[in-house]
Amino acid sequence: MLDQIPTAFLFFAAAIAVVAIPKGPIRNAFMLLVPLIAGYQVWNLEAGIHNQVELFGFTLDLMRVDKLSRVFALIFTLAAFLSNLYAWHLKDTVQQVAALIYTGSAIGAVFAGDLITLFFYWEGTAIASVFLIWARRTEGSYNTGMRYLIIQISSGVILLAGAAMVYIDTGSITFENMSLGSLGTWLIFLSFGIKAAFPLLHNWLQDSYPAATVTGTVILSAFTTKLAIYALARGFAGTEILIYIGAIMTLFPIFFAEIENDLRRVLAYSLNNQLGFMVVGIGIGTEMALNGTAAHAFAHILYKSLLFMSVGAVLHRTGTSKASELGGLYRTMPLTAIFCLVGAASISAFPLFSGFVTKSLIIDETGAGSYPIIWAVLVFASAGVLSHSGIKIPFFTFFAHDSGLRPKEAPTHMLLAMGLTAALCIYIGVSPDFLYSLLPYEVEFQSYTMGHVIGQLQLLMFALLAFVILMRTGIHPPEIRAINLDVDWIYRRLIPSVLTTINRTVSRVWSANTTFWLRMVNDVITQLHNSHGPEGRMAKVWPTGSMVLWIAILLGVTLITNFVS
Amino acid sequence: MNKKNDNPADYPALGRMMMWVDKPGSATKIFYALIVVCVLLFLADFTYEKHGYFQIEDIPGYYGIFGFVMFTALILIAKGLRVLIKRPEGYYGDKSVDVEDYPEDHLDKVDHNA
Repeated sequence: MLDQIPTAFLFFAAAIAVVAIPKGPIRNAFMLLVPLIAGYQVWNLEAGIHNQVELFGFTLDLMRVDKLSRVFALIFTLAAFLSNLYAWHLKDTVQQVAALIYTGSAIGAVFAGDLITLFFYWEGTAIASVFLIWARRTEGSYNTGMRYLIIQISSGVILLAGAAMVYIDTGSITFENMSLGSLGTWLIFLSFGIKAAFPLLHNWLQDSYPAATVTGTVILSAFTTKLAIYALARGFAGTEILIYIGAIMTLFPIFFAEIENDLRRVLAYSLNNQLGFMVVGIGIGTEMALNGTAAHAFAHILYKSLLFMSVGAVLHRTGTSKASELGGLYRTMPLTAIFCLVGAASISAFPLFSGFVTKSLIIDETGAGSYPIIWAVLVFASAGVLSHSGIKIPFFTFFAHDSGLRPKEAPTHMLLAMGLTAALCIYIGVSPDFLYSLLPYEVEFQSYTMGHVIGQLQLLMFALLAFVILMRTGIHPPEIRAINLDVDWIYRRLIPSVLTTINRTVSRVWSANTTFWLRMVNDVITQLHNSHGPEGRMAKVWPTGSMVLWIAILLGVTLITNFVS
Repeated sequence: MNKKNDNPADYPALGRMMMWVDKPGSATKIFYALIVVCVLLFLADFTYEKHGYFQIEDIPGYYGIFGFVMFTALILIAKGLRVLIKRPEGYYGDKSVDVEDYPEDHLDKVDHNA
């Protein structure tokens, strides 16, 4: 029975049902049960295409199950379970319904076998997720949510336009590997690129994630961008330009993350950098590289959630996530600090933690494929990850100077969620074979070779040494209350100010023009008044006499005209 | 947070154990330990045969040197970048999340000894 229902529909049904369940433990338990059931269903799904539906002459494939879609759907259900556990304290129906619809849409999109189904779920994730930002219920979050929604909806509209053009070109709406060439495929590529936060299209991510609620950001971090990664892996595997786009993505966010003060925005930059590694894997497009991308997405969702959870727990207890206001919290939040360190070690790819066994798959493929510059960039970016996510997040929150804040340890359910996620990060790192067995292709890879372990440890430890020296010499930039400009400046400052200037100029020209013509008309009227008005020159003579004179002239002209013609 | 009530004896046991890091001299000890670890890792490069994809990987301690130099470069470039793009928190006006407080009623701000 369960395998007859598309996984997404389970979540949509739950989103309706959850409203009927009274707030409290029963509803919270229900929020945990739904991803569990969905996970069980996905685990047992057989490969193939299920649930075909006819719509306006198109056959929609609601459930295309293969190893690639399965591994993404599995991690999505797992992420939903962990983030719902983290959000156990919530009494906000809006966020709970949004989380369920958002998860359902993301999983639906992963299983979509055609571009029309993909479009519907694509927009579903956009609309549902914005409520996790608006749920903060402040003017700032409302404005940010609007910007987020405009960009996300645009991505969907571009996808639809691209799908229509591809349909005209090929007569098929199947969502399969494409090669860039026609306008249609470029549009689809652009649409995926917006959601995957390609360079210059990325800033919605850093703008919106710090604006969402404590729990909302954890959920947001898992789905939207990884859905885009899945879509790129499905649609554009082996597209060479992705290698260079991905390399730039790993590179530029690390500089911004280094000087950003809001730790949730630091994590958003770091997320962007991690997506870069996955995009490089897709661009290389070999079986091992795609394995690397899927594995890295899987591990990344876990450690990134864990980091957002720990910073969220601090925000929950102190009311701020700004590095300049925090520090020394390990004294009273030691467990959160340790979980944060596990997340930091995982994202920095320390041996025995999850990032190590997944990132090396991708970096190794850049070596095997002879991309020396890309390889060097990725190794550099790995050191960069250490600097902001590995060091900055835990160090400036829980250690460094004592902020004097003595918040209580995170609530039990948050500790449970973080503990479980941390355990999974370590489990994947210690025995990667389980994750490798879920990957789209057969894995023949040894992550724990002497060369890998020593090389990676050298990279990280020497970078750490550099950090300590820079701290001791006072060269390391301090954490200060400030924001940094990024691409969003274009649409938050430049375009509005250009529009204001245009507006002002147009209205000035308009009013000058109007004044000019009004004055002309006024002058004419005044002159007529002067000559023909009651006091005018023409009024000086007796009106009847002048009328007779004019009639005589008129008659004379008529006569002459008649005579001549 | 009330500083007067700040008594380390009230901290969670785990937190008290970790307070070692703030003892005078601990930071220096960590620094020297790190140097020892780095030296050992450098020496470890001579104990096995390297099978890198690129020749440069065969240089002993290549990854260590690369990590140290690039990390330092990263911090210095980021510092320079900050000069260019740093703006006050209220740059985008008072209707942005950067200047507003997180709504108190969504949070559970409690002191550890409350």
